[in-house]
Amino acid sequence: MTPTWTIFRKELTDTLRDKRTIITMVVIPLVAIPLVMSLVVRVAQRQSEQAEAEQSKIAFVGQTYAPDLYGRFQADSSFAIREDLTVEEAAQLIREDSLDGAVEVPASFQGLIDIDDQAAVTIYFRSSNQLNATQRRMTDVIENYDSTIVSQRIRERDLEERLFDAVDIVTADVSSLQEVLGKTVGGFLPYIFVAFLFTGAMYPGIDLGAGEKERGTLETLLSSPATRLQIVLGKFFVVSLVGLASALISIVGLYLGVRGATEIPPEINEVLFDILTPSVVGMIISLLVPLAVFFAAMILAVSIHAKSFKEAQSSLTPLSFFVFIPIALGFLPGVELNVVTSLIPILNVSLATKDVIAGTIDPVNLGLTYVSLFALATASLAFCVAWFKREDTLFRT
Amino acid sequence: MTIVGPVRSNHVQDARFRVLSGRPFRAGGDAVISVESLTKTFKVSRRMRKEMGPSAKGHLTAVDNISFECRPGRVCGLLGPNGAGKTTALRTIATMLRPTSGTFRVAGFDGVQDPQSVRKNIGFLTGNTGLYDRLTALEMVRYYAQLHGMDRAAFDQRRARLFAQLDMDRFANQRVSQLSTGMKQKVSIVRTIIHDPPVVVFDEPTAGLDVMTSRSIVSLIRSCREEGKTVLFSTHLMHEVQQLCDDIAVIHRGRIYFSGTKAEFEAQMTQPTYEDEFIHMVEGEPR
Repeated sequence: MTPTWTIFRKELTDTLRDKRTIITMVVIPLVAIPLVMSLVVRVAQRQSEQAEAEQSKIAFVGQTYAPDLYGRFQADSSFAIREDLTVEEAAQLIREDSLDGAVEVPASFQGLIDIDDQAAVTIYFRSSNQLNATQRRMTDVIENYDSTIVSQRIRERDLEERLFDAVDIVTADVSSLQEVLGKTVGGFLPYIFVAFLFTGAMYPGIDLGAGEKERGTLETLLSSPATRLQIVLGKFFVVSLVGLASALISIVGLYLGVRGATEIPPEINEVLFDILTPSVVGMIISLLVPLAVFFAAMILAVSIHAKSFKEAQSSLTPLSFFVFIPIALGFLPGVELNVVTSLIPILNVSLATKDVIAGTIDPVNLGLTYVSLFALATASLAFCVAWFKREDTLFRT
Repeated sequence: MTIVGPVRSNHVQDARFRVLSGRPFRAGGDAVISVESLTKTFKVSRRMRKEMGPSAKGHLTAVDNISFECRPGRVCGLLGPNGAGKTTALRTIATMLRPTSGTFRVAGFDGVQDPQSVRKNIGFLTGNTGLYDRLTALEMVRYYAQLHGMDRAAFDQRRARLFAQLDMDRFANQRVSQLSTGMKQKVSIVRTIIHDPPVVVFDEPTAGLDVMTSRSIVSLIRSCREEGKTVLFSTHLMHEVQQLCDDIAVIHRGRIYFSGTKAEFEAQMTQPTYEDEFIHMVEGEPR
């Protein structure tokens, strides 16, 4: 048995007995992801339903100037209307959340309508209240009123309505549902994989490096016949494997989450399961492997340099920003996988995953992504090995 | 232990340093550990500069041109206060650190050219040696046996003997985290000698341990001597030196001030106790 294999086996056993690792690697992805997904979908749905069901409390200022329009608001049961307020009072009540909106009609309103001119109506609302449907409801009523008036004016002039609607836009989206989902949900998935790849590798990485120093076991290990290269490789393989396992378990967690979320429409659910073919999953894994190598090497290098568990943790926190920023860039509209972005590590995984899921991956860009990732993985591993061989890293005072 | 270096060092020019010279100790056969003009320097880190003051810069010499030999069946004690260079010297001999200059051989292997062979022949234990909490006592010992390339039969035989000797079978399959301090110390001991090394290096092995646990270490050192192993150990405790050592080397600020047998040390003493003698020996060092 080679020392690397001996160290790998021992470190893996030790790591899998660590509760923190098991929580990060198994419990969170398998339990927390489905739970959070289900919770978020349910809460969002419930709030949206509540917002729709709730009456909008509005003020109508100047109802006598627009009796028809006022009548339409009164006829709509989704409004509870107050007529006793001034504009200033209404605005203040909206700010205080006691009122959802207000409609202000000027004195000239009906006069202008009657002479076929254009009249103005002002609506008041709080845009910061995103769930509030009041703005949409008020606009709908006014637009309906507007359409009626316009149609009436056209009829009075014996004209065809199509004169005022020269071009009828008919939309025909040729994207498949898979493509649409790939570009939308596909941006979210790499965020989950990469996050778990990093956080899953973090605890074992810290434990196998700084933890070894803190426990006082490093000297003993270094005095064994195992070479520094064998020691660091044994540890590195465990950290990579645990990170990768954590990311893969998160995929299983997502799968369970989607299965369990009954609120997702069945046609979308069907496409989601169609996307998860062995070739797509295999491609995603092939993108994650070199990234796992990179993360493991970097985490281990930082960890072995630290003198304690705590120091390693605080050193790795800023490193995590460099991991999450490229993933976040992948969310931005217009950022696509091309010759340039396929060479930017982490961002390329995020963008390539989106394209793989959408089924629109370009082979050249995918090839460049692999080249970039494997080069990074090799360089980071070489750095980690060289770093581990340095006396001032191992015996830092 | 035989001082070769200090005989040729500048200390011998100073009458205040009573370094025994020119009489290499030859008891117990050929040297298993031989150190020749060993020097180890470190780059002064920011933290060291903070602790030592702004004048500390460049490189710090932790071990300065030391030479000695250790022979089988004898316990060689490296005596010195904290920061004397004991740990650096022992870590270098155990090939954890690479010497800046000088050479050393352990069990016939060159420590600079063939560090792996040196490590195969060494058992290393320190007072603050830790264990892996999530492994069992047996797994812990087996791990080090495998790292030393022991085959299963040899391991089983040696494990059975050592576990029986130290009454460890009853907790062999318990995780280290569940063991008492005494039990843990036994695991550490067996871990150190499971591969039956001809050389055992102890770096302040009793530091921070209670009386009972210290006794088990002292017993281990004695049994290693009885088995004919070469024992090199560092300490700052005078009573341990009196109790255990056959040969003594006094180290301070990286340099050796005295080396010889225990009898020779006692013969040249001008102070009533080991402690007084040690302080008297090092306090006149030129700064």
